[in-house]
Amino acid sequence: MSKGSMQTKSMPKNLVSWFFLPLFLLLVVFPLLALVWNLKPDGIVRTLKDWFFWQSFRNTILAAFAASALGSVLAIGFGYYHLFHKNAFTYKLANLMNDLPAAIPHTVAGLALLLAFGRKTCGFISNTGLAFTLFAVVLAMFFVSYPLSARTIASGVDGIDQEMVDVARTLGDNPVQAYFRIVLPLMGKSIFAGFVLAFSRALSEFAAVVMFGGNLPGSTQVLASYVFTKVEEGELEMAVTASVICILLSLIIVALISIRRREHA
Amino acid sequence: MLKVNRVYKAYRSQEVLKSACLEIGSEIKVLIGINGCGKSTLLKIIAGIIKPDKGNVLLREKDITHMAPEERRVGYVPQHPALFGHKSVIDNIRYGMRSGLGSEELLKDLISMLALEDILNKKPGELSGGYKSRVSLARALAPEPGMILLDEPLSDIDAAVKEKLLPEFRRVTKLMNVPVLYVTHDPAEAGQIGDTFAVMQDGKVNEIDSASEAFNIIKKDKFISAL
Repeated sequence: MSKGSMQTKSMPKNLVSWFFLPLFLLLVVFPLLALVWNLKPDGIVRTLKDWFFWQSFRNTILAAFAASALGSVLAIGFGYYHLFHKNAFTYKLANLMNDLPAAIPHTVAGLALLLAFGRKTCGFISNTGLAFTLFAVVLAMFFVSYPLSARTIASGVDGIDQEMVDVARTLGDNPVQAYFRIVLPLMGKSIFAGFVLAFSRALSEFAAVVMFGGNLPGSTQVLASYVFTKVEEGELEMAVTASVICILLSLIIVALISIRRREHA
Repeated sequence: MLKVNRVYKAYRSQEVLKSACLEIGSEIKVLIGINGCGKSTLLKIIAGIIKPDKGNVLLREKDITHMAPEERRVGYVPQHPALFGHKSVIDNIRYGMRSGLGSEELLKDLISMLALEDILNKKPGELSGGYKSRVSLARALAPEPGMILLDEPLSDIDAAVKEKLLPEFRRVTKLMNVPVLYVTHDPAEAGQIGDTFAVMQDGKVNEIDSASEAFNIIKKDKFISAL
């Protein structure tokens, strides 16, 4: 073998070891470790004793769960159109809109929600409409996380044998019956994956939540906005503790996804 | 009697069916053609799964061209068994009987003729390819359909099992006494199961006297498509 070809073969290995790996460690792992290194026992104790922290923790879990559940329900509807009405204008529009929340700044998403469900349109509910309530937090989280459910369920639908649907139709099912009786029961994995992905996205949302739901301690504050408030107040150790708890929550979700994947491998 | 009248179908600019005509009485008609010639498209048009661009489909003199598949009472056996994985074998077979179609007597006969007694409570994932095909056939026939469409139902099965299944498929489908359209690319398979034969060439259906006639036509079509 010539020297030149040997060099060509060994190059990719060195490239990964000396370039990509250090870059990954520096830009992804190091910032996360920086948080853990800055954990202080005093900060941990004060955070865990802080009633507002536990309220924001509860708000985060509840709102993210509700937002992902709502997202899954809507995504199931989207999956139906994805299967049976791919050429319909409404489907094409919905498909396009699915990418929008990921593409626009989330402050814009929050402002859009504020204008849509705020004082002007929903003033009959309260002085601020739906804004600055826990429901607003749910809607904000839903807005940014729903596309993940929709995309996951759509790819799950793509994985279903079309012939199964055809057979169900010839056996007397209309499209809705075929979807709910045959397609959906086989999509448990996709629905779960979509829910978990949306949940993890909802947990991390800050901008849209603060714009529409506000950052009211004990009321609409979530973990992400709690961290922001503590940094603003100069309580860095409490912010660090809350951040590490956020990371732990995310790790649990990631573990859940990988366990589920392994079970079905 | 099932009648297909001058059916046209094109995908974008490619014409798949060009004035395809077909008539089937209470017999097993085998439609033979090379892969991709439009056999399955025609079969799906008859089933109502695909809409034709032109032409119509008549079942017992009634125009069913614009009827949804669920209204046609068609027994459809696809290329892959496409069993409902979350349901047991018996629930798969009974699926089309939900709205009162078929009879318990026919169900018993099908189970017995296709030797399915011992696997009724199993899930499709636990079955061999041969059994999957049998269940797929039983599921299509249990609601007593007005016509039976089989789209290369044994293409996934190895030759030895296929030899055993073909007479079974013939016996059971004959029992129903309705038009049966069996699609295959294999003239030998066609000869074993069919009463009458047709070949699909250039988007048209041509009647032939025997399956052996199809050998030369298929050979020629394969040669042309390879060019």
